[in-house]
Amino acid sequence: MSDAASQPANSPSADRILQAAENLRRNIQGDLHEHVVEALYADAARIADRAVSRPGVAAQPTFDRTLDRILTSRLWGFPIMIALFALMFWITIAGANAPSGWLAWLLVDQGWPMLRHAAEGLGFPWWLSGLLIDGIYLATAWVISVMLPPMAIFFPMFTLLEDFGYLPRVAFNLDKAFKKAGAHGKQAMTTMMGFGCNAAGVVATRIIDSPRERLIAIVTNNFALCNGRWPTQILIASLFLGSLVPAHLAGLISAGAVVCVALLGVFFTFAVAWTLSRTVLKGEVSTFSLELPPYRPPRVLRTLYTSLIDRTIIVLWRAIVFAVPAGAVIWLSANVKIGDLSIAQHLMQSFDPVGVFLGLNGVILLAYIVAIPANEIVIPTILMLTVVATGSAEVGQGAGVMFELDSDASTKALLQTGGWTVLTAVNLMLFSLLHNPCSTTIYTIYKETGSVKWTALATLLPIVLGVVVTFLVATVWRLLQ
Amino acid sequence: MNQPATTAPKETCADCSIYRAARLKKLGVDVDRFDHVVALAGNPNTGKSTVFNALTGLRQHTGNWPGKTVTRAEGAFEYADKRFKIVDLPGTYSLLSTSLDEEIARDYILFGEPDVTVVVADASRLERNLNLVLQVLEITDRAVLCLNLIDEAKRHGLQVDDRQLSRDLGVPVVPTAARSGQGLPELLQAIGDVASGKIACRPHRIQNEPPAIKHALNELVGQLEAAHPGLPNARWVALRLLGGDEHMAEALRKGEFGRSNMTALTSQT
Amino acid sequence: MRGGAASLGVNMSNWTIIICLLALAALLVWLKRGMVARWRAGRRYAARVRREDAIKHILKCEVNSGEATMESLAGHLQIPTDRTAELLESLEDRGLLSLQGGKIRLKNAGRDLGLHLVRAHRLWESYLSEQTGVSEAEWHKRAERQEHLLTPEQTDALAARLGNPTTDPHGDLIPARGQPVAGDRGMVLSAAEPNQPLLVSHVEDEPAAVYSQITAQGIRPGMRGLIVEKLPHRIRFWANGNEHVLAPIVANNISVEPLTDCTGNDLLDEEFLTGLATGQSGRVLGLSAACRGPERRRLLDLGFVPGTEVVAEMKSPGGDPTAYRVRGTLIALRREQAALVRISTPNSIAV
Repeated sequence: MSDAASQPANSPSADRILQAAENLRRNIQGDLHEHVVEALYADAARIADRAVSRPGVAAQPTFDRTLDRILTSRLWGFPIMIALFALMFWITIAGANAPSGWLAWLLVDQGWPMLRHAAEGLGFPWWLSGLLIDGIYLATAWVISVMLPPMAIFFPMFTLLEDFGYLPRVAFNLDKAFKKAGAHGKQAMTTMMGFGCNAAGVVATRIIDSPRERLIAIVTNNFALCNGRWPTQILIASLFLGSLVPAHLAGLISAGAVVCVALLGVFFTFAVAWTLSRTVLKGEVSTFSLELPPYRPPRVLRTLYTSLIDRTIIVLWRAIVFAVPAGAVIWLSANVKIGDLSIAQHLMQSFDPVGVFLGLNGVILLAYIVAIPANEIVIPTILMLTVVATGSAEVGQGAGVMFELDSDASTKALLQTGGWTVLTAVNLMLFSLLHNPCSTTIYTIYKETGSVKWTALATLLPIVLGVVVTFLVATVWRLLQ
Repeated sequence: MNQPATTAPKETCADCSIYRAARLKKLGVDVDRFDHVVALAGNPNTGKSTVFNALTGLRQHTGNWPGKTVTRAEGAFEYADKRFKIVDLPGTYSLLSTSLDEEIARDYILFGEPDVTVVVADASRLERNLNLVLQVLEITDRAVLCLNLIDEAKRHGLQVDDRQLSRDLGVPVVPTAARSGQGLPELLQAIGDVASGKIACRPHRIQNEPPAIKHALNELVGQLEAAHPGLPNARWVALRLLGGDEHMAEALRKGEFGRSNMTALTSQT
Repeated sequence: MRGGAASLGVNMSNWTIIICLLALAALLVWLKRGMVARWRAGRRYAARVRREDAIKHILKCEVNSGEATMESLAGHLQIPTDRTAELLESLEDRGLLSLQGGKIRLKNAGRDLGLHLVRAHRLWESYLSEQTGVSEAEWHKRAERQEHLLTPEQTDALAARLGNPTTDPHGDLIPARGQPVAGDRGMVLSAAEPNQPLLVSHVEDEPAAVYSQITAQGIRPGMRGLIVEKLPHRIRFWANGNEHVLAPIVANNISVEPLTDCTGNDLLDEEFLTGLATGQSGRVLGLSAACRGPERRRLLDLGFVPGTEVVAEMKSPGGDPTAYRVRGTLIALRREQAALVRISTPNSIAV
């Protein structure tokens, strides 16, 4: 303002300048932006010419070019991509098995009895130790032991590929398919990330700079089977589907079934993207830009560190925050009684008709409701609830205590006591793919979109699809029998 | 002065990199008090976030993806007894468009008026990066060009004459390889010198004004200079007004072009 | 007593029905959001829209140096002549126009209203084209609705948000607030001579059926082209590397201006980035007129400016997108984007 005060008396006022600008800009021929950028680049080219020289050495970045030709070639592009990602998944699943076992041993087999003893020693009332240790502690321990190892292996590998510069090439290779569905090639990346963790996948959609395609990537990310759901798929497939065929084929069939479910997820990604881009997202802006950066040697240690801090720990922390109340709810529902039955029993009974209608059962529906915070605890919750529902006393640790059984045979026996058939198993696998995202992901979607509307769509759409698909499968199944 | 400082060293070692590096103290996110504000601009994927992390000691993730930094990140460092707040702006190709990230970067450099704007450029793709550098130089006269990824340029057989570049651009040019920490002491020195006024920049301004807008531009610059004597970036302001930028029109109506107002605005942000 | 209870019961149910009917009536009539109120508001709104459309038509005739008549107005609004007469009288009553001497003349208030409508319409079309993904065929229809809903203040805010554009996507000038609106430029395409280089200056967005044919052909304001052949029943128009066969009624809705800076052969030789095979290079001549808004600015910022050398480096395994090396960077463009970049290749320069 001091500046305005010191103006010479005859200087033009702001309004007059603005008026002049308005008149002048209407007389400019052509596009102003174009004129300016052209002039800028002309100067830039001249200056760069004077400063940059190529003393004798290879005039072209030949290494990059050769690598690009191979990685995006018609012949090798897709095989290399598939091989790389298959390798990544194999390393993740194989490598996570042992540490997951150690963590479960440490936190569940050792930690849990120790805590119970300590609570007894301190004279905790049964309900307090039940709520804190059986409910909250156990749920958290389960989430950590199932979630941490695969993420700690998957994310650094993903980040190394990212830092090297390979991922933009994958987007380049796959763009045509995504374009047909009205999406962006970069969604290939966010979907891949979703196979690790949907919440991380949703955050990763920031690389998509076109609003419509970014929303599509966010809403469809849940169709990528995240690592909290892989164990459920693998367990159920090997228990119920593997046992349908001779033993030497069991592994192949159950693995094939899991891959089919994952591919079905990819199919839904495209189908939903196609539908959204032609209906609700029709009015959003859509642009495409994809820069293929030069390859850079990744720095392994730094990458391990940052991907652990940036992705794994943050996602794990959020999962724990949501697992704590879930543990409490699970324990309370199994232990608070209304009349003769616990809340869980009441709920299971009222859900059962709907569940059976969908080829599932009340136990599964309740397990999915209480396990919204983390898919990791679905199987332990189902087992616990089945014990509660059937009243079988031989297994389990009591009402509200999640557990897993050491032998597959006894797990299957328990589930069959609960009335499970092959149809239940198939529909559980489908429902595990097609249900609402976990609460961490829902929260992340809300933070990224800032919109209740899109969050609701992303949450409800998979459930609706899940109900429709399981119902159809159940109906066809029953007709065939 | 177009060259990075060549003033007589007070101590024998005052100019060597080890001495200067020792005077850097990374302060992470502790941005409460500061003497100078540094803005970090640059094209996507030029290692801007790496430079930011190297100066502040923070660990913002930097992927080999264009456009990683979506929001504005802030950090701090202390160098030669002065505390600097550093603001990492979104990576953009240009400052002329209406997209949100470009608006954030543009408005911060103009209205946030940092004491120094460091433009990080990819030495191996200089011509493309100069597009943004030249735009920044239209806006501010206190800038440093950080010629990053100089190692990669060498790998591709390119040699960049930073002295020539510095002469042409009229601001200090520091070749760096931020990933390995190469050149960072010199960058700090240049930032410090520009912030303290030891180096006065004479930034390059676009020479070939496009004929189609030359008349309109000159006319408007004349009026702006009459109304705001000493306005450092009259031509940029005129350009934005011709482009119909409402922020700029609003700033003009409120007379927000004096330095004092700028400082008030800076301390708010 | 029993009978009494029963008759009371009957009475009770009668009363219930009466109360329900009353409540229904209240819902219909009294409430602000009742059905009757809504219906009346809808009627009022429809009447206002008709008045405003009439004013706009009269203004457009005025600036294009024609004169609105009762017949042209009736045709434009598609209402009978007697209704048109009523409409005109009501507009005169409102002080928007005068009907002295049988001629329709806008008064200042009417002209201001018309200007606002034109401005709001063209700004909304600019908004739809630049900041949404709404398809081109719907711009006009939506703007036609929105122009009646925007207040002058909202229109100004919209203009500011869009960076005060000066032309709308059809090539029409957007009047500044309070400034007069300019007439349509150029001549209709069917009046132009064959082989004369032309600039498409305006594409008329009414009637919608013709307009959608024009957009489907990909013809946009700002495009350069020429008439290859002119026959009574069709016109062959070459633009942007494609030949468009147009019916005269379509060609009548396209306005053109003659170009002086190039010859017809230049236009016929135009090439686009899509024509480059892998490994070939070309020099950018400019961006096509169909490339608008953020898309245009993005391509410019990425370096697709006139004079820039572009090399088609590689194609995706599916054949689309293609990666181009532009000023040292690999940029992948989809086919539709590449089709927007006009280039010249070494061959064409040699010829």
